[in-house]
Amino acid sequence: MRPEEKNILQRQIDEYMKLHPGIKIIQLYKETEEMRSGYIVAAIGGQGPDLIYGPSDQVGPFADMEIIKPLENVFSKEYLSHFNEKALITYKGHLWQLADKLGNHLTLVYNKNLVPVPPKTDKELIEIGKKLTVDKNHDGRIDQYGLVWNYTEPYFFIPFLTGFGGWVLDSTNTPTLNTPAMINALKFIGNLRDKYKIIPGEADYDIADVLFKEGKAGMIINGDWSWSSYGNAGINYGISVLPIITETGKYATPMVAPKGYSININVGGGKLGQIKDLLEFLMSPEKQLETAVEVKTFPSRKELYSDPKLANDEIFINSKNQIDHGVALPIVTEMRAIWDAMRPAYQAVLGGVITPEKAARQMQDEAIKKIKEMREDYEDPVGRTIVYAIFLLAIIAILFFTRKSIIAFFKNFMRDRFAYYLLLPAMLIMLAVIMYPFVYNLILSVSNMNLEHINDWSIVGFYQYVKVFSEPQFYTFFVKTIIWTVSNIIFHVVLGVTLALLINRKLPGSGIFRTLLILPWAIPQYIVALTWRGMFNYEYGAINLILVKYLSMSPVEWLKSPVEAFMAVIITNIWLGFPFMMIIALGALQSIPKELYEAADIDGAKWYHKLKSITIPLIKPVMIPAITLGVIWTFNNINVVWLVSNAGEPSDKTHILVSFVYKAAFNLYRYGYAAAFSVVIFLILLSFGLTFLKRTKATESIY
Amino acid sequence: MPSWQFKLYNIMNRKKTFADILTYLFLIIFTLAALYPVINVFTISVRPNDRLLSTSLSIIPENASFKQYIELFTNRPFLLWVWNSTIVSFVVTVTGVALASTAGYAISRFKFVGKQASMLGLLTTQMFPATMLLLPMYIMLIKLGLINSYLGIIIVYSATALPFCVWQMKGYYDTIPMSLEESARIDGCNRWQAFYKIIFPLAAPALVITALFSFMTAWSEYIVAAQVLQDTSLYTLPLGLKLFQSNLTTEWGLYAAASLIVSIPVVVIFILLSRWLVSGLTLGSVKG
Repeated sequence: MRPEEKNILQRQIDEYMKLHPGIKIIQLYKETEEMRSGYIVAAIGGQGPDLIYGPSDQVGPFADMEIIKPLENVFSKEYLSHFNEKALITYKGHLWQLADKLGNHLTLVYNKNLVPVPPKTDKELIEIGKKLTVDKNHDGRIDQYGLVWNYTEPYFFIPFLTGFGGWVLDSTNTPTLNTPAMINALKFIGNLRDKYKIIPGEADYDIADVLFKEGKAGMIINGDWSWSSYGNAGINYGISVLPIITETGKYATPMVAPKGYSININVGGGKLGQIKDLLEFLMSPEKQLETAVEVKTFPSRKELYSDPKLANDEIFINSKNQIDHGVALPIVTEMRAIWDAMRPAYQAVLGGVITPEKAARQMQDEAIKKIKEMREDYEDPVGRTIVYAIFLLAIIAILFFTRKSIIAFFKNFMRDRFAYYLLLPAMLIMLAVIMYPFVYNLILSVSNMNLEHINDWSIVGFYQYVKVFSEPQFYTFFVKTIIWTVSNIIFHVVLGVTLALLINRKLPGSGIFRTLLILPWAIPQYIVALTWRGMFNYEYGAINLILVKYLSMSPVEWLKSPVEAFMAVIITNIWLGFPFMMIIALGALQSIPKELYEAADIDGAKWYHKLKSITIPLIKPVMIPAITLGVIWTFNNINVVWLVSNAGEPSDKTHILVSFVYKAAFNLYRYGYAAAFSVVIFLILLSFGLTFLKRTKATESIY
Repeated sequence: MPSWQFKLYNIMNRKKTFADILTYLFLIIFTLAALYPVINVFTISVRPNDRLLSTSLSIIPENASFKQYIELFTNRPFLLWVWNSTIVSFVVTVTGVALASTAGYAISRFKFVGKQASMLGLLTTQMFPATMLLLPMYIMLIKLGLINSYLGIIIVYSATALPFCVWQMKGYYDTIPMSLEESARIDGCNRWQAFYKIIFPLAAPALVITALFSFMTAWSEYIVAAQVLQDTSLYTLPLGLKLFQSNLTTEWGLYAAASLIVSIPVVVIFILLSRWLVSGLTLGSVKG
């Protein structure tokens, strides 16, 4: 939802509250995916907001999980007949969502100064594109492109798939990705880039957006949410229906996603009437019209389509044209598996790693596999018994092996009580927060909790663990995680300690360096991680520019090839993490008595002698815990990987174990599997922790 | 001669001039590399029309303006978020320092049953992927009635920060000789006095790190807060900042401006606490 949309909704809610004193409505905004996962958690917990608003494709999972109410008995047939039928979201025979807007449809946006008449067919598109793609100052780099768009993302590829006559799934929700249409569409995108050369070699959403806003692209394919920002950036833009693909004579047809309201399953009977009243107010023709005129959204009430305020508006007319040439976004949960299956193979084709034919096959196979995993309905009474037996045995074993300690605890309690008192508050807080979630996850890991069993899950034994270890990618990502962790920690510690040593020399100005160097730690990660992504851009990023201009190297395709993309993620995280180690090392250095160095100086020791026999041994007790925890945190650090590689691009090759489990399991609501995967990660780290601490003797005192 | 010139004069005369120059060179190069992305964030904050990227590399973009900063302070509840975050972070910092300094001391100085187990126990809490803990933690907080309250997130944040802080304190106490408490005990202190009068002040550098870390944990945490705090008037900074973000239409200018401002308190606290972090006086005077 754009900020303008949020504001106007808030205004309308305020109006409603004024009309109905005593009713308080809170609008709580979250980004789509986050709102969904947050809502699922809250609704399963028996809470959550009464109304949930968002794109229609959340209806599938929510309905499958039974966390929203059917609406057909809430609103009358007559009332619903006023709405565009695309706005009534039905699934499995029930109405689950009532949309107030149709949208998210991609259109062709063109810069009127560069493109006087928008293309009607793909041939014209290529013609115009060729004319506009030029190297104006003859420096060997293209300065202006005919067409740009976020073509690495499957959602932005769909119009071409449909244009060539394909679609993503059939009426039984089976994927239909391995078709000639898919292959032709894949080839077409490749040709735009390599044969006709009218689109940039590398373009994600932000790069495409910026090129168009800076007037460096004639056309962009983008959705209704973006249009007004182009006007604000001073571009004289127009929108037009996506072109016809000549080969098939069909329009390139984008998906149209209605956006609307569903009601929380936890809403009680009495409140339902109030909610219905609020919804009827918000979706009244007046309010919808007001919103449509002010923020240029497309209303769902049919009677508004002929309203002069809209019917004469150029943007509205073209938007309506595109919606008429649009196809509803599938709402079935299978769609999530299809997106996840399409992305890697699609990006592999763009990267030239596999042929379109192979990609189509791979997409289909992956999609079928993922759907099967997602819909899995597994029960196993024998497995359950085994789990109970092992649980019982484990308790007995723990009691047996710790019996001496338990007795010793009570015997020596009076002697040691001072230590226990000191320790108690910290331990209580840890146990209170961690115990329940930890045990809960252990139980989930031996359960079948997934989309099919969200509330009625049962213990099935070690099935999920078998799945984890039989996943071939597990081992690749395990190795990657090791590389990721080790290289990060080495750089963090070496850089951190070196910088701390230099700053600790207390030369004039070291205070300034010290303060500036902690900035990477102090600034919110999200934006700097994305800034780094921008710096790694092939054509416009600062890093390639430095490589080419000052070091006369050839530019690196940082974000397109798996190895370099992984390096880019590591470099970013090194940057983010070194200040922390520097601060720890700085603190540790203070514990070293100066007399030791003075004595060494008298003995004529060189600096590296002092480093080896004084500094390193004496900062060790403080550094070891920091390094141990650093390893654990880095191993489980999902944020940086996710942001810099844009969730594992290219082709899901830049994952580490946690980001993989997040994408493979969470995305498809395989909670039992995700829990088992997490327990495996936990065990890996536990064995690391035990060995490392034993080796470094960190649990023992040095004096 | 002004003092800085005098200092400079002194440096030039030092024998280690070469080492000093190398030090400066390394520090300057590194600081530039550390700063460049931050400068980029600044550029985004003054660039018009919410553009995350640009095809130009200039630091001050065309039509640069500070209107995002003005917008932030006048039209958005930014100061409220700052205030909320300050309260939460302050309480977490105090809790973190109090609990970690005592628990770390117990582990460093005493032998008792369960010592190894508690140290390992603390570490293991960090090993489980955090996203998985969210659902049960949420269910638990609902049952305890701690949803939509600061108490809930303060407890969770303290628990998040403690393992590192306790270990860190323990490591630092380890470097302080036992003989100090022994002589304090001989002078008539009880065990508690020996700790807080003698050892606690000596551990200042580690306390600074514990405080900074606890503060940062609370100051920057998003995931738990997003699940627990539902009333916008209770929003902390990370939640507030997230409001500028939406799928494909983020208000980058505001986000960048807010990000820079958010990092200022961290830097200020760091500067204020630095004198204990780098003084080097604390231990040198009693050891050796």
